Amino acid sequence: MFERTRQWIEVRLGIKEIIDSGLREFYLPRGAGFSSTLGAVALVAFLIQAISGIFLLMYYIPDTAHAFMSVRIIMNKVPYGWLFRSIHMMGSNIILAVLFLHLVVTFYRISYKKPRELTWISGAIMFFLIILFCISGSLLSWNQLSYWSTTIVTYIPTLIPGIGGRIAEFIRGGQYVSGSTLNRFFAFHVAFLPFTLVCMAAFHLFFIGRTGFSTNPGSSPEGDSEPQSVYKREINANGMPFYPDYLLKALVLVMVYLASIFFIMTFFPGLFQPELATVQADPAMTPDVIRPPWYFLAPYQIVKLIPNKFLGISAILILVFIFVFWPFIDGVNERNISKRPLLRVIFILSITVWLILTVWGGY
Amino acid sequence: MKRRKFLKTLLAFFSTATLVTIAYPAVRFLSPLKKKIESKKLVINRNEIAAGTAKNMIYQNEPIVVVHDLTAGFLAFSRVCTHLGCLVNYNGEEKRFICPCHAANFNLEGNVISGPAPKPLVRYPVLVKGENIVIG
Repeated sequence: MFERTRQWIEVRLGIKEIIDSGLREFYLPRGAGFSSTLGAVALVAFLIQAISGIFLLMYYIPDTAHAFMSVRIIMNKVPYGWLFRSIHMMGSNIILAVLFLHLVVTFYRISYKKPRELTWISGAIMFFLIILFCISGSLLSWNQLSYWSTTIVTYIPTLIPGIGGRIAEFIRGGQYVSGSTLNRFFAFHVAFLPFTLVCMAAFHLFFIGRTGFSTNPGSSPEGDSEPQSVYKREINANGMPFYPDYLLKALVLVMVYLASIFFIMTFFPGLFQPELATVQADPAMTPDVIRPPWYFLAPYQIVKLIPNKFLGISAILILVFIFVFWPFIDGVNERNISKRPLLRVIFILSITVWLILTVWGGY
Repeated sequence: MKRRKFLKTLLAFFSTATLVTIAYPAVRFLSPLKKKIESKKLVINRNEIAAGTAKNMIYQNEPIVVVHDLTAGFLAFSRVCTHLGCLVNYNGEEKRFICPCHAANFNLEGNVISGPAPKPLVRYPVLVKGENIVIG
């Protein structure tokens, strides 16, 4: 029965040909390890976020009077509501960790060099889109932590002289964080951002498809560092087929990703949910201590360390600019980081400083 | 058993187990929540419905109509048309329930007189206790 159905579809659509030409004959560099599958894991993680998000939409009410209670109902009354909400909430944090790792690996392997500048830029934009997802999504639960975190985040634009106040009001939909902000963030979170992210992911995959997977710098053929003047797709003819070799490797990491979510959900359910996140938002009472989420601790600490707030924000924006356009800033053609001591120092220093600022920001 | 076949069987087993593990909570999550029904009976004052008229109300989350007919007395029916679920209205002059969507007509017994409705309207028991009418 299964074989007959498969044959019926095969005769009409030629799925085997698609798999053969698109997947089996798409080769990756020989020896591409698990670190090369982080992008695929991020894609699956995003799909999990999308599906669990659609599930939550069925019970969530985007209204200041009902938002907090609807989340509580999802957690306590809807059958398995806790499961889907926890997957969504834990996933939003772990997906960022996966993206961090993906970026670190890409940077370390200097895979952003010509002809892959656009792949890097689209990836960097996607990274910021995911952060916007996290910011907009956190307000939706309408608790004390999310309310006051959003108040602080949306206060940041006011540090820009002149138009800053207008920008903040525009984001909030008023002078303060209110029902209008909730509605804006909700629309942003469930309509605008998913659409934009899907478009950007399509571009990202298209760029990868056109340029081919980046070869390992250590095994790059002679002349690979030469400037390229015509379009050339990296074929990797003797490499590893995308299907099944690469997909199976990716599947293993997807399992690790899911296992991480369930591990945190089981043993550290409050890891991303401090006490303030369990209290309904009260616009009349600011809590004593409000800390941004872990992925914001480093920039938060930078702003705290620089006495002039405008300079602090400017420093963050400059870092973002350098990060996004790094392929154009790094002018050396050499792709092997072991032959580039200065870049290695920049790489190790950036990660160390970022980690120190993150830990410091947490205290 | 060959290694390849063993691995395929193992993969099929774990895939099925994973699918079932995901599907079960998903179906439970999507099933409508059972709301607590506060009272099994609905009590209203008989003076609320004048003779020859009807009153629309909600009983156990269901829209119903209570009719006060001079000859048949108090009657209660679900307002949900058995055709496609629109809500019927009571016409006091013609003594019938008419569905505004596809003109299904029901008599005072709830039976189909004309139109596409396949079944009679759901009827609820009514008990008159002094000044009160008890539905359900």
